[in-house]
Amino acid sequence: MKSQYAMIIDSSKCIDCKACLAACKQVNDLPEDHWRNWIKYSEQDPQSAETHLVHFQPGGCMQCNTPTCVEACPTRATYKDERDGTVKIDYGLCIGCGSCIPACPYGARYRNPITRKVDKCDFCDFWRNNFGLEPACVSTCPTKARIFGDIHDPKTRAYQVLRENSDRVVRLSNPQTETKPNMFYLKNTAPKDWPKPARTPDPIKAMLCCLTPGLQGILGASILGALVMWGKQIFTRSEEEQDDRESE
Amino acid sequence: MNNKILRHNTSDIILHWFNALCWFLLLITGLGVLGNHQINPLGKWFPAMMESLCGGAECLLTVHEIIGLVWISAFLLYLLLNFRASMNFLREIFTIHPRRDLVWLLKKPLQLTIGNKAMRRLGLNTELPPQGFYNVGQKAFAQPAVILGLIIAVTGIIMFLSDKVLAEEQTVLVIWSIGIHYVAVGLVTAGLAIHIFMAAINIEERPAFYSMFSGYVPVEHVKYHNPLWYEEIIQEEQSLPDSGTSRTQEATGVQEQSTADKI
Repeated sequence: MKSQYAMIIDSSKCIDCKACLAACKQVNDLPEDHWRNWIKYSEQDPQSAETHLVHFQPGGCMQCNTPTCVEACPTRATYKDERDGTVKIDYGLCIGCGSCIPACPYGARYRNPITRKVDKCDFCDFWRNNFGLEPACVSTCPTKARIFGDIHDPKTRAYQVLRENSDRVVRLSNPQTETKPNMFYLKNTAPKDWPKPARTPDPIKAMLCCLTPGLQGILGASILGALVMWGKQIFTRSEEEQDDRESE
Repeated sequence: MNNKILRHNTSDIILHWFNALCWFLLLITGLGVLGNHQINPLGKWFPAMMESLCGGAECLLTVHEIIGLVWISAFLLYLLLNFRASMNFLREIFTIHPRRDLVWLLKKPLQLTIGNKAMRRLGLNTELPPQGFYNVGQKAFAQPAVILGLIIAVTGIIMFLSDKVLAEEQTVLVIWSIGIHYVAVGLVTAGLAIHIFMAAINIEERPAFYSMFSGYVPVEHVKYHNPLWYEEIIQEEQSLPDSGTSRTQEATGVQEQSTADKI
């Protein structure tokens, strides 16, 4: 069975220390004002004075099973890596057009102003593959709110935790865009309704829905036309045509 | 009849085949880069094959960009060196005579598909209205090829600059360029299928095809296919017997060629 790396997050353990943000930024050498991960806050209801508790919810790219960002990329510079189940970016192929940015319901992508290419969390791909390290946000978390691992491998803790809590995990997603994220939160997490519907830019949407079949039709018709004329040329005897022309 | 008329000079022939080679390479590398199979008219197999051939999609993109830039530079260079000839070419292909050209455009495809006999059976006259240096069918391909070629070049440059100089706010241009580039290439390719058939496969146009190598077409071919151009040559030859405009040089070329043939 193929690997599927994922995170199981118990957001009630998060104390909003932002160590995960800092570690990620440092390890992945991120540009100023840009982050690969985040901590969301549950909104306080100003009317109800009962509770002053705010719930902190850490997150990042959800490495979805049906990634809308991948569909929005014309070149497959961003793709779902079948080997470890993460969504990757091929920086050699990405031209930084940014089509994938609004196509992510979680806002997990940004355009790096220095490389001018799109960037997002890759579960610390480089450190994981070359040094066998966990993602920086996971290893740095003082309360261990994040558990990381291959949820297809029964030997991992991630697999076991997910199994034990199978009835009380939620996947955050917008009802209009079901992306099957691989970020599992324990049920009491908040906020829950923040993912937006995926928005593929109009030109790409047009290519996906009608321009491709339209062009296939036009190309097919033109090639068919050429073949009909060719066939006619082959099947009519050229001498006849010669006579024809002279008689005119 | 061995008399021949100069139709294309050497620089035009080189430009034509250079352009053909660039278009071919750009088309296959471009389709190879379009790795999202949902928007690739050829589907999944083609980008996979091209990636294997080139050693990765990144290499394909680099090759596509380099050929594209070389293609654009070559055209700019040609435009600078042969400005007047380029303008004449543009004037020629964008000049149409609606009444007779429309008849030609309606009749020629019928001739090529159902044939003269069937047309006569339908009570149609098979005679085509006379045409000039280019017939209107050629113009109908040349016009979109020029306009779409320009659009392809501009959108290509915008995409090339995306990760070199453009800021995030300007990426909306890049995203629209992707869509426009895609449609423009698709339309040109559809026209190209007909162009290749008419030029390289259609038996009637065989002499014109050879002229894209040798430069010369037989006088008989010109008289039949481009009577208006033939009239022009004759007129110019008569009105300017020895001063040096390009057309009369061509016409003198005719005589030189024919004497050479006789010898």
